[in-house]
Amino acid sequence: MNATGIKFGLGLYTALFIVFLYGPLVVLGILSFQTGPEGGPQFPIIEWSTYWYRHLFGLTPPSRIAPLPIEQALVRSLTLAVMTMVVSTVLGVTAAQAFRRKFRGSGVVFYLIVLGMMVPGVLVGLGMALVANAFGIDRHWWGTAFVLHVVYTFPFAFLVMLAIFNRFDPSVEEASWSLGVSPARTFRKITFPLIFPGVLSAMLFAFTLSYDEFSRTLFASGRDLTLPLAIYGTFSVEVHPNVFAFGVLTTLFSFALLGTYAILMAMSVRRARRVAIQEEA
Amino acid sequence: MRLASDWIGADVSAVLQLKNVHRSYAGVPALAGIDATLPNDAYVSLLGPSGSGKTTLLRVIAGFEPADGGQILFAGRRIDGVPPHQRGIGFVFQNFALFPHLSVRQNIAFGLESRVVDPVTDVKIVAGRVRDMIALVGLAGLEDRAITQISGGQKQRVALARTLVTEPSMVLLDEPLGALDANLRTRMRGELRKIRERCGVTFLHVTGSETEALAMGDTVLVLDRGRIAQSADAGTLYSRPASPDVARFLNCFNIFSGELADDAFVSPVGRLALGDARQPSAKPAYAIRYDRVSIRPKDAAPAGDEVRIEGSFVASEYSGAAINSFFALDDGRVFEVETHLSHAAPENYEERGRYALVWKKEDSLVFA
Repeated sequence: MNATGIKFGLGLYTALFIVFLYGPLVVLGILSFQTGPEGGPQFPIIEWSTYWYRHLFGLTPPSRIAPLPIEQALVRSLTLAVMTMVVSTVLGVTAAQAFRRKFRGSGVVFYLIVLGMMVPGVLVGLGMALVANAFGIDRHWWGTAFVLHVVYTFPFAFLVMLAIFNRFDPSVEEASWSLGVSPARTFRKITFPLIFPGVLSAMLFAFTLSYDEFSRTLFASGRDLTLPLAIYGTFSVEVHPNVFAFGVLTTLFSFALLGTYAILMAMSVRRARRVAIQEEA
Repeated sequence: MRLASDWIGADVSAVLQLKNVHRSYAGVPALAGIDATLPNDAYVSLLGPSGSGKTTLLRVIAGFEPADGGQILFAGRRIDGVPPHQRGIGFVFQNFALFPHLSVRQNIAFGLESRVVDPVTDVKIVAGRVRDMIALVGLAGLEDRAITQISGGQKQRVALARTLVTEPSMVLLDEPLGALDANLRTRMRGELRKIRERCGVTFLHVTGSETEALAMGDTVLVLDRGRIAQSADAGTLYSRPASPDVARFLNCFNIFSGELADDAFVSPVGRLALGDARQPSAKPAYAIRYDRVSIRPKDAAPAGDEVRIEGSFVASEYSGAAINSFFALDDGRVFEVETHLSHAAPENYEERGRYALVWKKEDSLVFA
């Protein structure tokens, strides 16, 4: 086959890949604009409308379709994701810092940490439920489920920070010590600002993984549902396009989160550059 | 337990004393008993081939790595076991290790503001001392630059200023000129000496280059296989290296191994007449400096006080003020001759031609 043929083949492959990657998202977006309340999750679109978005916020006249029971679940999931993000990132950074020096048993500890993201979620969730029952602990999203979320996201934060420290030049820390600055202050003033982009990535990982965690939460969260569980609960009755509208809104929220991340990243890079430009002006 | 002898043995004019300092990695010794005394207000260069343990020694003195044994006394106080930030010893890294997220000014002010002992909290005092230091090292006008926006030589100055502004009584420099290009390196040599004189601190400058060590150091320490092989001023070191290994490392001696037999040295290229210069050494060797040898036609007769061997010309290397010629001796060894062009115009030697290589026996140095 000639070069243009190969190029064409690869192009087609890439196009198909993108279609399958983003197709579901596009379908979801289109169907969310179906008219309501009689329109369902199917093509063709009867009439374009923002009915389901208004339905989501309770702005439509009452109909036979109940509003999504997600308000409290959303608050719970966001709170849980923030708690998980903070704890996992702190653990991830400190654990990776510990791994910069070889210590006895470091190999075993490494695999113990990474195990948290390897084991099947449903089993861990079930296990947690059994343990909680055996010890008479009440299951809550902020208790048993929170612990599982940390166990699950901590390895991701840890691996991200491990990669960051791998590229980190330890001589800047030694330089700081040799200036008479204590190791604690050196970490705060020198090490942390330099690894901050990595910390942001670890936070992002922990937040998003926790926010849409399903299988572990299913058994461990007890009575009050988190967002993924609440949405799943609505599927078992009948699927209406209000779920799609909600999906679009969460996706936009994720984009906003990524945007914030990108801006924070760019700011830490640009600050140094701007100083230099002012100097030359 | 601290013995009284720790202090009795302390030399008041010395800023740093090393006593039998050991360090090994996985059983392989990197420092095999270092003894040295560094005077106050002096430029000391530490010369050693790669793998001789010179960076290890510096890191042990700075406290980045522990010593396995021995004592380190700094300003009369034992510091082995003291963490690096409580030692008060400055360190300049080969890669400069500047703080990439801080400007030039912030880099220099960092130590003053953030150190544990006696931090300077008054912003005006910090600004004043940083300004003075910037002027001293010649960085005026670059205060607000990011350190990614300055050249290698300027980074070197920032690294130096950052350390000197905290007023340590000793600064360790780990191949500080290694990352600079040749032109800049020569200029920075002079600058380093001048800056040190103005600050009155002791510099311990590690280098693998013998010319740099000789040019910079008031005292030169030669490190070889984890031991101090010689400690002397540059002139003594150059003319009277303490061992064949030191001589080899100075890269300016032709060295023959062999045996001492009454009035001559028996080497693979024949009997070589002896001068008066002797250096006690376990390994017998005969050394003659590159620049003490003259090249003559094969049939020219030597004078009575001269030593003569023969070699065939291989190649020569022109380096501006001097020309280095290489000869193959009969045992296959390469013999080098340095001819200064201020003494004679360069001659053209015939390739593979036989020449007489002649030197005065008084110029030779014998290790036995």
